Amino acid sequence: VCTGQVWMCVLMLCDCVCVQAQKLLRERLCHQKLPDQPVGLDSQYKHMLELLRRTAVHGESNSVLIVGPRGSGKTMLLGCVLRELMSLREVQKNVLLVELNGLLQTDDKIALKEITRQLHLENVVGDKVFGSFAENLAFLLEALKKGDKSSSRPVLFVLDEFDLFAHHKNQTLLYNLLDVSQSAQTPVAVVGLTCRLDVLELLEKRVKSRFSHRQIHLFSSLSFSQYVDVVRAQLSLPPDFPDPKFSDEWNHSKLCDDKTVEEILRRNFNGSKDFRSLHSLLFLAVSRVSVSHSTLREADLIEACRLISADSKANVLHGLSILELCLIIAMKHLNDTYDGEPFNFQMAFEHLLQLELVRPVDSGVCKVQREYQLMRLMLEHGQVMEALQKYPQCPTDVKQWALSAFG
Amino acid sequence: MSRYITRLRMRRTYKWNGRPIGEDRKLKRQYYESMSISVEGKTEDATVSLGQYILIEGDDDDNPFVAQLRKLYTDGKKKSAVVQWFVRMCEVPQNKRKLLGRDPHPQEIFLYQDRSCDNEVDGETILGAVQVSYVIICFYRNLLGNKVDLLSDGEDGDDDDCFVPSKTDLQSSSDEEEEAKIDSEDELVVKKCRGSRTPRSTEKTRVSARTPRKTPIKKTAPATPRTPRHATPSIPSRSAPARKPGNVLEEARARLHVSSVPESLPCREQEFQDIYNFVESKVIDGTGGCMYISGVPGTGKTATVHEVIRSLQQSAEQDEIPHFRFIEINGMKMTDPHQAYVQILQKLTDQKATPDHAAALLEKRFSTPAPKKETTVLLVDELDLLWTRKQNVMYNLFDWPTRRNARLVVLTIANTMDLPERIMINRVASRLGLTRMSFQPYTFKQLQQIITSRLNRVKAFEEDALQLVSRKVAALSGDARRCLDICRRATEICEHSGSQKNGSGLVGMSHVMEALDEMFSSSYIAAIRCASVQEQLFLRAVIAEFRRLGLEEATFQQVFVQHQALCRVEGLQPVSVSEGLAVCQRLGSCRLLLLEGSRLDLFLRIRLNVSQDDVLYALKAD
Repeated sequence: VCTGQVWMCVLMLCDCVCVQAQKLLRERLCHQKLPDQPVGLDSQYKHMLELLRRTAVHGESNSVLIVGPRGSGKTMLLGCVLRELMSLREVQKNVLLVELNGLLQTDDKIALKEITRQLHLENVVGDKVFGSFAENLAFLLEALKKGDKSSSRPVLFVLDEFDLFAHHKNQTLLYNLLDVSQSAQTPVAVVGLTCRLDVLELLEKRVKSRFSHRQIHLFSSLSFSQYVDVVRAQLSLPPDFPDPKFSDEWNHSKLCDDKTVEEILRRNFNGSKDFRSLHSLLFLAVSRVSVSHSTLREADLIEACRLISADSKANVLHGLSILELCLIIAMKHLNDTYDGEPFNFQMAFEHLLQLELVRPVDSGVCKVQREYQLMRLMLEHGQVMEALQKYPQCPTDVKQWALSAFG
Repeated sequence: MSRYITRLRMRRTYKWNGRPIGEDRKLKRQYYESMSISVEGKTEDATVSLGQYILIEGDDDDNPFVAQLRKLYTDGKKKSAVVQWFVRMCEVPQNKRKLLGRDPHPQEIFLYQDRSCDNEVDGETILGAVQVSYVIICFYRNLLGNKVDLLSDGEDGDDDDCFVPSKTDLQSSSDEEEEAKIDSEDELVVKKCRGSRTPRSTEKTRVSARTPRKTPIKKTAPATPRTPRHATPSIPSRSAPARKPGNVLEEARARLHVSSVPESLPCREQEFQDIYNFVESKVIDGTGGCMYISGVPGTGKTATVHEVIRSLQQSAEQDEIPHFRFIEINGMKMTDPHQAYVQILQKLTDQKATPDHAAALLEKRFSTPAPKKETTVLLVDELDLLWTRKQNVMYNLFDWPTRRNARLVVLTIANTMDLPERIMINRVASRLGLTRMSFQPYTFKQLQQIITSRLNRVKAFEEDALQLVSRKVAALSGDARRCLDICRRATEICEHSGSQKNGSGLVGMSHVMEALDEMFSSSYIAAIRCASVQEQLFLRAVIAEFRRLGLEEATFQQVFVQHQALCRVEGLQPVSVSEGLAVCQRLGSCRLLLLEGSRLDLFLRIRLNVSQDDVLYALKAD
């Protein structure tokens, strides 16, 4: 009987339009699908597209860096550009794409194997690359050298986390890729993605000289009203949604005009302008939509905001016993009295240690007895007070003690 | 193919036959008519006498050198021989082979008339006599004088070769004997032509008569599946050729690309001449030497050397100077300094070897007096990367040219002028010698000339715009690559803005300014201006805390207290510690802040990566 009921529920949910809507929005917010058009990056998009198109069509070698803070849409921009580029008939079959990531290819040896594998050079059998590091390098360079501008297929090298490649020994890989991009060999485009503004200072001077110094910066210059527009666009359902009545209703909700919602968005906007943090906020809100209430309400957003902005350590404090809390309060007072100087304990407090709310000071040479080990409190004044305020059934005198000026 | 390998393993002894036929008192030399060679384990001695064709030991065991014996003499200690060299087709440089105009028989040999090569050899390198079936003399321009057909050695009946053919060899030799019969038939005919120009037609018929029989043999080799060992490095080719530039700006952009090879290298005439003279003199004299070239990146060092080699190769083609080989290695294009040996050996002889073995082979090659050796010109780019603790790679590279028979010219390139003094130990630096040259950074006039010569009548730039670029780059680095890249970017900007402005369609001041701005302006200020409110506030808190402490470093906890206070002043809701830390980490990942010890949590140490003035300037302008 029980399983039968569950099945019924599942079937009902599948039928529900709002689940479809939720699925669609979640996909969008989880970056599983590229947006149709990057927001607010029109000039960068055009520049990038033009550049890669020239490599693909004219065989002109290029190198470029896309620089922007985390979550500013570097990968998304490149993804959109490549999508449009690959939709051209002329380009489709003529371009080889090699994608590397500095976090995966941690040295040149691994990177070279990966390049060779992705290019399907002749020393690859199946998925295995043969030969030593030196042979692979010589082989790849020879292959690239044999090509020429008009007859070989251009190769697009995408180096994600570009700054990490600069830490490889001698920067051999970067030197060689950039050297190819500056000599009459196989046309290549080297595209680096990085969030470090000082990335050029990491390059050795001969590597730097071979880089074209083309940098595309992705700094968001959105105003708040544009930001709200983006939110609206992100939350609206597309015109080809199967149930037009539902989508019409959904799209015409006045959610973004609400005062509290605006406040939440403003707070998020002040915190960071990138879309990744916005997406995680909206994702939590959208997840709360269910069959029982099939529209997105401001309460959902408020709850999502509360979850996102909650202090992680204040949460941990809520799980402490009264005794442990007393210990914390005692430490807080010690901190206040001695102006943050380290203090010691003669009590057992392993639990607090495990929670990393207190942490021993890295002791120097001498080994102190365990009871006399110096400790630091890893909490801010406000965090303790906030936790106390919300603590269920906290004895009043403990609260009083916490609030009093001296311990 | 290991035909002569057995011979190498046997000890040979050499003896004069008969009495000397002449004597040179001054040189203390005694001349002989013939010499007998006895080989261990073989009863019959081989004899070589003047006028005979002989085989001489060389690098390649399968194909010993072929020569005609002219003189045999001794100076009391050593037996020596004077010879007329012949070359096999496989010894002829690749680019010359096509001059022959036909496919030669693999056993065919050609008269070698280059004076640059030593025609005295050690008598003990003679392996034995060889039967040369007939002689044709014909003339190929630039390359080959007399042409002689060599038929396989030993198998023709004369037992002047100690080689015992194996079974497979017997088969093939019978094949060749048939050939010999055919050849001997027209031997008479051909011999009549000696000393005069051979009609091309006889030759052709002979070749065509041979071809059909050769081909089936080749075909019998089964097509083995491609293994990675024999993989050829190549990038697949595209289905349609790349588009050609369409308009003036695109044409200009293609010409301004660093990769396009310019028709000439302006502004490096003096350096060109110096390097040219150096290499030319070494090639003509048949000696060796080293040269050290330094200069900051983008000053045309490698390009100039390549240009020198190109023009030297041209004059070698026209027989103005002896032929030489050019080999290039680059310290950045190898994974380990010792790979230099492997690469040099591979480029010289197409052999693969481990670094140690390659070093030994090269050592042998450059120190033994091999006959018919051409000068080798070796370009070592990015020399500083070849540094090892014991410096043996550098030592060897500079030591080989000093050997008497090496005939090696080494051109080295690096970025810094004082590299020899800084990183080389004395014995290496002293071998490098004092032939040094430094490339100065380009001045603005030179840069302008470079762009103008590259553009070569393609009118795409306004005169002022060019001057601005070259002045700016000359002031910063004098790097020609930078200059060309900026110009290229300027043409793009011009193309995009071209639609709205009427203008002349030329790249003007405004475009160049924009390109310069893009490439040289610091992005920190733009980044601060575009940062979110909390991020800006945090930066302000950092500065406030620095001022309070009087230090350039603070912990996150200290800054966070300031941040809370600033939030209250600005009328913003205070952020939680987690959020504050997130803001701090974001600024750290852009490197606006430098963060140390990220696991210290509240006690994270914060420093600014921008000057305080820049931060304040960026924040004030808002």
